[in-house]
Amino acid sequence: MISESFIAATLSSAKTPTATLRDVGICVHEFQPAPQLRSTFKKSSTTPNCLAVSPSHIFAAQADKAVVHVYSREKGNQEALVPFPERIRSIAVVGAKHGDVLVLGTEGGRLILWETCTGRQVATTASHLQPVTSLVVDPTSNFILSGSADASIHVWSLPGILSFSKPAQSQDRQPPNSPIRTFSNHRAAITSLAVGHSNGRNNIAVSTAKDNTAIVWDYNTGHVLRTYLLPFSATCLALDPVDRAGYVGYEDGSVQSIDFYRSGSVKHTLHDTSLQSTPAQVSAEDRWLPPSAESGATRALILSYDGTTLLSAHDSGKVLSWNIARRKFATTVSDYTHPVTNLVSLPLNGLSNSSQEPTRSIHTIVKPRHDGALSDPSHAPGAVPAAYTFHTHLTAPSRLRSRQTSQFSQALTHAAFPTSMIEEGLAELAAFRQPGAEVSRVSYTAPAVPDTSVDVAAHDDRIAELEAEIALLKKKDAVNDKTRHTTTDEVVQLRSDLVHLQDYINEMHEKQEAAQRDKVQRQARKEARETKKREAWFAAEGKGRNGDAVMKKMDIDEGMLTSDSDDQSDE
Amino acid sequence: MTTTTLRAVTHRLATTPVEQLPSIAAFLATSLTDCAELLSAPQAQKSGKTESDHSVQIHKLKTRLATLLQDRTIEGRWTAVVLVKATVEAGQWEILRGYEPIVRGLISILAKPDPISTRKMAMIALTRIFHLTYQYPTLVREITTPHLPAFITAALNLVSVITKLPSGSTRKVKPNTPFMETVLQVCLELVPRHPTIFRPFGTQLRSLLTEILGSSSLYFPDPVMDIAEQLFASLHKCAPKDKAGSGWTEDCRATVLSIHRAADYVFRAVVEQWESVDGGLVSARQNFTQNLADESSDSLGLASWEGMHAGSDRLVTLLRLLSNFVSMPSTATVALPLGSILDVTSRLTSVTAPSDEGTRSGVQTNPQIGRDERELLWAELPRIHIACMDLLAHVTSVLETSATPITQNILEQITWVFRNENTSRNVRLASYDLLSTVVSLNGPAMSKQSVTSITGVLRACCNDLLPSSDESGSQGKQQSDAKPKTKNGQATANADSFLNPDLQKNRKSQTSQFAELERAASGLLQTVLTCVPPQLLVGSLRAEIDRTIILVSDKNAMLASVLNPIPAIKGRAAGASIMPFLARDFADSIEVEALIRPRMPVLMTAPELDAYAEVEDEQEADEMADDEVYNAAPEAADFLKAPAPAPVETKTTSQVPMHKRTYVEERPISPAPTEKKARLEESANQQYPVVTRTSTSASQLAEADAPERMQPEVVTSQAPAAPAAPAAPEPEEESDDEMPTLNMDSDTDDEDDEDVNMEG
Repeated sequence: MISESFIAATLSSAKTPTATLRDVGICVHEFQPAPQLRSTFKKSSTTPNCLAVSPSHIFAAQADKAVVHVYSREKGNQEALVPFPERIRSIAVVGAKHGDVLVLGTEGGRLILWETCTGRQVATTASHLQPVTSLVVDPTSNFILSGSADASIHVWSLPGILSFSKPAQSQDRQPPNSPIRTFSNHRAAITSLAVGHSNGRNNIAVSTAKDNTAIVWDYNTGHVLRTYLLPFSATCLALDPVDRAGYVGYEDGSVQSIDFYRSGSVKHTLHDTSLQSTPAQVSAEDRWLPPSAESGATRALILSYDGTTLLSAHDSGKVLSWNIARRKFATTVSDYTHPVTNLVSLPLNGLSNSSQEPTRSIHTIVKPRHDGALSDPSHAPGAVPAAYTFHTHLTAPSRLRSRQTSQFSQALTHAAFPTSMIEEGLAELAAFRQPGAEVSRVSYTAPAVPDTSVDVAAHDDRIAELEAEIALLKKKDAVNDKTRHTTTDEVVQLRSDLVHLQDYINEMHEKQEAAQRDKVQRQARKEARETKKREAWFAAEGKGRNGDAVMKKMDIDEGMLTSDSDDQSDE
Repeated sequence: MTTTTLRAVTHRLATTPVEQLPSIAAFLATSLTDCAELLSAPQAQKSGKTESDHSVQIHKLKTRLATLLQDRTIEGRWTAVVLVKATVEAGQWEILRGYEPIVRGLISILAKPDPISTRKMAMIALTRIFHLTYQYPTLVREITTPHLPAFITAALNLVSVITKLPSGSTRKVKPNTPFMETVLQVCLELVPRHPTIFRPFGTQLRSLLTEILGSSSLYFPDPVMDIAEQLFASLHKCAPKDKAGSGWTEDCRATVLSIHRAADYVFRAVVEQWESVDGGLVSARQNFTQNLADESSDSLGLASWEGMHAGSDRLVTLLRLLSNFVSMPSTATVALPLGSILDVTSRLTSVTAPSDEGTRSGVQTNPQIGRDERELLWAELPRIHIACMDLLAHVTSVLETSATPITQNILEQITWVFRNENTSRNVRLASYDLLSTVVSLNGPAMSKQSVTSITGVLRACCNDLLPSSDESGSQGKQQSDAKPKTKNGQATANADSFLNPDLQKNRKSQTSQFAELERAASGLLQTVLTCVPPQLLVGSLRAEIDRTIILVSDKNAMLASVLNPIPAIKGRAAGASIMPFLARDFADSIEVEALIRPRMPVLMTAPELDAYAEVEDEQEADEMADDEVYNAAPEAADFLKAPAPAPVETKTTSQVPMHKRTYVEERPISPAPTEKKARLEESANQQYPVVTRTSTSASQLAEADAPERMQPEVVTSQAPAAPAAPAAPEPEEESDDEMPTLNMDSDTDDEDDEDVNMEG
């Protein structure tokens, strides 16, 4: 839930408050959505401009004592009591985000800068002739504006004061740690200072003084932008979050708004050069009057986060709220009995703005060290001394680190696993199933890189690889084809050879058969001749002739015949 | 709807053959995510029939997942791992309760010869489970305390081999393991959340990490080194509670000492001018006759090394380690040793390579060391200096505004390194990044000297941003400037660039390194324009910056330039604004619109608008009175009327004071931009007479119509011209003379303006 709170500090007085507020000097009060006292810190009594709040601590410079009370907001107790050589008349923290450096304005007119994380303490020259009564730090944490009872306002460069290594001072032979600019348009003691909310160079500063003026000026140049003649002397000052208007409070408890815009136009009168030398009169009738006369002087003013409500602290111990649009008093937020001297508005609780989350926090402050270990080493002027350590609790990785996100952290917070990882796994599973998977397993071990540019490169590599593979396959295919062709040719050749051979075999068979037949015939003929011969012999014997003669004759015939037949068979 | 989805999921899980599960796993996981509401609903509220049906389905799902985790096939186990992660993410506490068997199953997978992806995913799923249990003491008791040690052991076994020693067990790295990165990530993720459970593994982890960080023989890819460094920097969290802070301090101190020791060896080729601010530092004795090597292990326990490259590797690793100490979250308040860190970087950056052989200024060489080693050192220096600048960038990003005391020292170190090593692209990149951090912190209060010292960096920045064709031209020019005799050679140098001039440009746009450098350069220019007081920048430099950002159409830098114009110096012509370029290039962007046609709600708005309307009349009278008092030219507001959205409070025209109108009609628009930003106008005025004339004619028109109600068109036509308009170039002296009175007549004022314009 979103809630808005402020911190109020009181100056102890003779009045006795109710039991709950006994001894209480600082109150944390919620005012939206419902006004309610949240927590209290005891034993503090502060004059105006003597309360500073950092995200971790509250610093309260005590009235009439040279002591600053430090309260821990985290633990809710008083953490330290820091003594200083002089009374502290005003106080401010540098950097709303961490509030590591505290600026203290002293009774003697100097500033003391205390680095609460290192214990280093740097003092400036006593450039003010009277106590420093109001202090503000600009939004860039580079400049300090200090107002004093001597009617002057000094602008200090924060790096100029704090830096170990000082750039060589050239023409202007000014002592170190002196103001870079002085604004002396006021004619009486400065009562209150406010600085605009811009981080740019055109930021404004507003100052009020006892000479009944409020001056808007540019602290980067020292030029006056507008002078407003107030009906009375303003005691306190607040600026609109958009720097559209300023609000001042008076001794009689009334407040008044100063519109920086020409009514009804988007024209910022502050930057109109033609008006800058002309003071503007702010009429007394235009004040927003308090509900009763006994509310006492207005001591501090703050604006709500949305800039629609003005809160004012009064001497009577009341905190009043004013409706800015209606330009009049709205309600009484609280009553602390003692005069309320300081109001500090706290940032909204519950707005999620992760980029503004601090990456470190401070649990305990380091009291100022006076042992000289933090001064420049003698042999190396400008070098950071070895004992300079910064005490802090690093709560989150720094911005630079959180910029990088790895695949692992993506996977860790993904609803299941990132698609790339699942695909990789699927591919690996598929490869696992194939024989000879061992080789491919290793190739999947390289993690897929989430970076797209690298992805593209990986794709390119992949494509090149695949193309090479395709070329290889094609070549193989061609070779295969060729071999297939040759084998089929061979087969055809062989087949035809086979056919030839078979033909040959058949021929041979035929020949063989023919030879057989021949043989058989010859046998038959021979037998027939034999028979004939025998018959002829028998016949000759029968006839009584010499059978042998006949035989011989026949043999001769036969010889001729056989030779014939032999010839035939040879063919 | 979700009920049916859940039922469908369990059904498919039960019926699909296990081999086919992986292909639908992703789909099932998505479906489970959709059932998140159902899965994370507390058990106790599930009463009634349908509700009990849900719990039956959830139970079925859990048992099926448990069996799948024990499945024989790798597909089954793979699917189970994916779905376990999905259910855990969807169900959170409700699902985690009673997930103990599943956690055990996941751990057992790590020891199996499963595919690498299964085991990696199992580790991630387990990490997530232990991550989620962190917030719930009951779950920590049930799941984390019993099973996390087993998981850590299993994970460490994947990447290393344990050796038991009497003094405590140490681990030795397995070479070539694919799990190293994941395992280290797991530890890095879990150490901060469960430091007590990691405590017994502290020494094992430390031995493993020192081996990774200190090894010169084994190679580890960059991400692994990076995570190892981060993990090493978080190890102090495992220390006993009372020593957490001091453990950090000791480790940090040891790292600083190791850097000094390594630097003693690596820098032995030169005689260093640097003197430590820390009196307790002892420099290492060394033998100059031997090769460059550190034979013994250092204060962090990192192993010995040999050779220049290994030495500077060690230096870079240690510097990165120190950056991690500074930037990683710590358990308690720690004391960042800013003094020691600045001391280290000042030592390392003070040694720079001589830019030219002839002019060896500043660096005194050690005559006992050979020229070879010295030149090796020159080559390694940029790497070391980049690591230094990264370290400083981390320091400033942590300290933010509290870095103020040391920014000047950092600035000196950057400019020193940059002057000598600006040829290295990575050095430029690191310097731009660091410098823009420093300038954004303390730019507004920078002194003239500091701004002058970074001039060289800014010029290099412009050079890096300019398109490459231009760049090559300027390079050529530089060359010819330096050595005119090379001019002939230059013509023949690269004939291809004449044939195809686009070649170089394409090559440049492809490289991501260039993109990174351009981002850094553009960031630096933008920061400088925004933060550094414009009057401190030399005119020629500012012109070069403006020219560069126009050429590369860098919107943010152009906006920064327009918003921080060169201040007009008395007695000299006002500088030009580059607003027209911005308006032409980015007419559609919202920032440019806001800049050129401002429509800020001028007056306070309040929730009680209606109530406000009732008192309108009397207030109006009051305000009119106010106007008379301190608004110089009330009529100026009247003669321009247009439907501007914002202002609620109304101002009726002076002609018809009692006229009752609705708010919409009456919203006045400003004449404003014309007279408003005087600076802008003045600068624009001299430069762009064309614009001037348009606006003049517009105002003439306006004047003609003035008594009547203006038509919106006229107004809008004037608006764009307005900011650049001269309107009243109103030289200050003149306006002082002419406008002493409070109630001046706006009409005459306008006429005066015109006259001035015509003349000028």
